[in-house]
Amino acid sequence: MPPFSSTTSDCVIALERITKRFAGHVAVSDLSLSVPRGVVFGLLGPNGAGKTTTIRMTMNIIIPDEGVVRLFGDDLGGRHHSARIGYLPEERGLYKKMRVRDMLVFLAEAKGVARATATKKADQWLDRLDLGDWRLRKVEELSKGMQQKVQFIGTMLHEPELLILDEPFSGLDPINAQTLKDVLVELSRAGTTTVFSTHQMDVAEKICDHVCIIARGRKVLDGGLAEVKHVHGGTHVAVAFEDGGDLATAVLGDRRLVAKADDYGPYAELALADGADPQDLLVRLVESGARLRRFERVEPSLHRIFLDKVGAEAAQPAEVTRA
Amino acid sequence: MHKVWAVIRREFLERVRTKWFIISTVLGPIFMIGITVLPAVLAARGGAPRSVAVVDESGGMLGQRLLTQLGTGNKFNATLVRVDTGGAAAALDSLSRQVQQKLLDGFLVVTSATVESGIAEYRGRNVSSLRDMALIEGVLRQVVVIERLTRSGIDPAVVQEAQTRIDLRTLRITRRGATGETGEATFALAYIIGIVIYMAIFLYSVNVMRSVIDEKQTRIVEVLVSSLRPFQLMLGKVIGVGGVGLLQFSIWGAAAALLFRYRQTVFGMLGVPPEQASQVQLPPIGGALVLLVIGYFLLGYVLYSALFAVVGASVNTEAEASQAQLPVTMLLVAAIIVFPVVLQEPSGQLAVAMGLIPFFSPIIMPIRYAVSEVPTEEVLLSLAVLAVSTLAIVWVAGRIYRVGILMYGKRPTVRELLRWVREG
Repeated sequence: MPPFSSTTSDCVIALERITKRFAGHVAVSDLSLSVPRGVVFGLLGPNGAGKTTTIRMTMNIIIPDEGVVRLFGDDLGGRHHSARIGYLPEERGLYKKMRVRDMLVFLAEAKGVARATATKKADQWLDRLDLGDWRLRKVEELSKGMQQKVQFIGTMLHEPELLILDEPFSGLDPINAQTLKDVLVELSRAGTTTVFSTHQMDVAEKICDHVCIIARGRKVLDGGLAEVKHVHGGTHVAVAFEDGGDLATAVLGDRRLVAKADDYGPYAELALADGADPQDLLVRLVESGARLRRFERVEPSLHRIFLDKVGAEAAQPAEVTRA
Repeated sequence: MHKVWAVIRREFLERVRTKWFIISTVLGPIFMIGITVLPAVLAARGGAPRSVAVVDESGGMLGQRLLTQLGTGNKFNATLVRVDTGGAAAALDSLSRQVQQKLLDGFLVVTSATVESGIAEYRGRNVSSLRDMALIEGVLRQVVVIERLTRSGIDPAVVQEAQTRIDLRTLRITRRGATGETGEATFALAYIIGIVIYMAIFLYSVNVMRSVIDEKQTRIVEVLVSSLRPFQLMLGKVIGVGGVGLLQFSIWGAAAALLFRYRQTVFGMLGVPPEQASQVQLPPIGGALVLLVIGYFLLGYVLYSALFAVVGASVNTEAEASQAQLPVTMLLVAAIIVFPVVLQEPSGQLAVAMGLIPFFSPIIMPIRYAVSEVPTEEVLLSLAVLAVSTLAIVWVAGRIYRVGILMYGKRPTVRELLRWVREG
């Protein structure tokens, strides 16, 4: 295993050339990746890319056909380290008839936490996420969003070193999504390593240190966020118009200046053509008579990189642009 | 072990807290009072004498004798109507009207031919009451026999003496000597033991199945198996649910014991005369029998709950389960089907064979032990076979379970199940 031996020791997760086939198709193919300690790691990819399969193999819930999964430097499997890992599966589930606090205490006990400690922690977390009044209610009486929050608490209650979250933001309203982001950032500052999968690039862009994009079971791109953006290269400009944006259409359509334009509504992200000077673009836009509100050289967005790398066809735009 | 304990605790507490548990625990003893007291109460109430008329067309002593016999024992309020052959039709019409007006329950018609042919006629509203008909028939037979004997010139006093009622009392003899148990009580006890073990195994192992399906359906199982080994999960579940069963049966057992001890008081409160109450008897229940019942229940429950856990793990919904559980249910039902045969012939070939087969022995052996003398070696052999089979089945079930709980969609075929066992 020469290619990995140097990094394995400080990696919390190391996947070494794992492959998983299901009847008729390859879900994950020859995938290697390593998650350094302490990072927030985004596993990105379109639907059906193999994110969930990868996560399940990492957790040792399904066994790879080929390759090795290492957690904390050994290959004993997720269950062996379960006390150090918090896992949120893609399919959420709680015992509907159980009371909220009993449910949380049980999940923590299944991780080996003592009852008294678990009870205390559960109360603290429930208060913090505004569920304090619901602790003695049955799970089924809670709204879907509240159940999600309960499940997050269940994932974190035993203070794991490593959080593995499969699509943690799906189905959350903006307020709960923000709460979750805050908690994740805070845990990350305290040293928790977090791996989460998503197809929401804006979320990934805000909180990830490290991203890995996979498509059709293969790794497309992997690295630190800044590094990925740097490598992606090119000159990118964000523009927004006060009014008269239609006057600029001809300028933006000039292929000698602008290679690609993504209109996000409030602003557009432009990838300039090779050798084009942003200064020239600014002059042309001013001359066109459109009134500019914003003109800024930016790094390419993760969204742009994702589209470029995965290809518009596989990316299913409706999913990707959901904010 | 701490983790298994958490599962046991959850399964136990969550069940004990349900309305279902509380209601069924309370209803159990009420049901017991019902089945023991109700017949006695009914017997006491149903004793209101029936008013019947005896229509005698024979012109002899037959009607008078019937009247006397029917009158003893307060069962009937009889009147005698003597008619000659000509006036019979009119008398019967008038009596029929009285029956319709509910002034009379019915009437018995005897003719001069009755003594020779033994044929008589009863018309009434209560012809469907087996008890009434049996009594009337009994009286009629007795009177006809006396009449025939008297005509043959036998002294009526001798006839009367010959008619004294016979009562066969059955007492069970075991190796330890006469037990004082009556045959009927022993039969009832064995019957109750069999039904209770059957019900308990069925109810609680289906509970295990439900719990498995619930975890699958809510998808919580994925979180659980990331923390626990599937076998730990299954083990905790089986023990937890079994604990609920033991608790419930301890409560019922204690209630039954109390009820039996204070039966005079309870019967008194319900207005049953003391002589009726003392008829309710139970053979003394030995410690060995209690141990045997508990042992067979526990092993049988573990065996069947492992099978039901497999059913649960291989389906997606409860609706699918009701179909998939059929083969397992059939095994249990088979034991119930041979039940009467075993009671009749507790040492017969069938009973001995069924007592050794692990799927049936948990129900069959305690019955056999309760009604007959089963050699100790046979009990030990049966227990050993059951214990070993249970271990093997739990092992196989565990392997299917751990694959099945993460599988959704199409139900696996038997071949696939076998592959899961091999590959584990």
